[in-house]
Amino acid sequence: MKKYISPFIIGFAAGVLQVVPFIKSFACCLIIPFASYISLSLDQKANKDYSKILMSKAFIFGIVIGLTSAFFGTVFEILITFITKQNDLIASLPELIKMVDNFPVDENIKKEVISLFDNVKNDLINKGFSLFYTVTILLNNLIVNTIFGVVGSLISASFINNKNKNLDFQ
Amino acid sequence: MTYPLRLIIFIFVFIWFTGIFFEWIISFNNNLIFIFPFAERTYSLVCHQDSTKLIGFNNHHTFVCARCTGIYFGVLICSFLNLVKNFKISLNNNFIYIFFSILLLDVFATTIGIYEYSKIISFLTGVFFGSVAFSYFYYGLNKLFEEKIGLKN
Repeated sequence: MKKYISPFIIGFAAGVLQVVPFIKSFACCLIIPFASYISLSLDQKANKDYSKILMSKAFIFGIVIGLTSAFFGTVFEILITFITKQNDLIASLPELIKMVDNFPVDENIKKEVISLFDNVKNDLINKGFSLFYTVTILLNNLIVNTIFGVVGSLISASFINNKNKNLDFQ
Repeated sequence: MTYPLRLIIFIFVFIWFTGIFFEWIISFNNNLIFIFPFAERTYSLVCHQDSTKLIGFNNHHTFVCARCTGIYFGVLICSFLNLVKNFKISLNNNFIYIFFSILLLDVFATTIGIYEYSKIISFLTGVFFGSVAFSYFYYGLNKLFEEKIGLKN
């Protein structure tokens, strides 16, 4: 457990940062991959071991970062929504409905989709919680963050190994 | 890496890249509109989706900004080239330093207003960075399989 302390902590930080709007608009898709890089670097520094990082280790780090950031990202988003009764979905709903309205799709289908949006919005505004919304964002976060965590870890490990190899030559 | 594995990587990248254009794809199958909010939400996790930075035509927009579209396009092109020919990749960190710096400089310059945001420049900085990032990912994946095969033997 102790050897995964760095991806746990960095995963937690990435989960929090994912909810912060300014950071999100600035770091875009690089939050989770960058978290993987920091976590692998910190692990090397903490253990004072600058030997080649095994890709299997990087792979596990990526999964841990993905799962941790997904869990905490979801928890924070749900908590903030519960307290403020506001979130990204509610803010962007009028635009989403406008978009759906513009699609060349059957009217009945449009109505069904819009009523689905409305139910979620009403739950979030009145109760601050929607089970459907929670399950959706949890699944989304778990899948996307884990994939980006693993991809980021493999990229980072290759980069760090190559950097350390170059340092050896000097 | 074997051809089926390269093909699997290409298919995953292709599906992810195609998903960016989900708004256009809905025109081909109306029922896909039910997945629309989830798909939109999925891509919102990896991009700020600032409406002024999305690529749009025919009243529809991409799910991610021009820069992210560029990154994924770079990854798609490289995974396709890699599918056609199994390149032996040797890494040179200078490339990632250069392309990442260019990407970051463009982000800073447009954020603090040195020059106007350009979708074409953003897209291009993304393509170069995405191409280099794919080579690192592919190299790492190769090493991962080598380690697994080494463990088996």
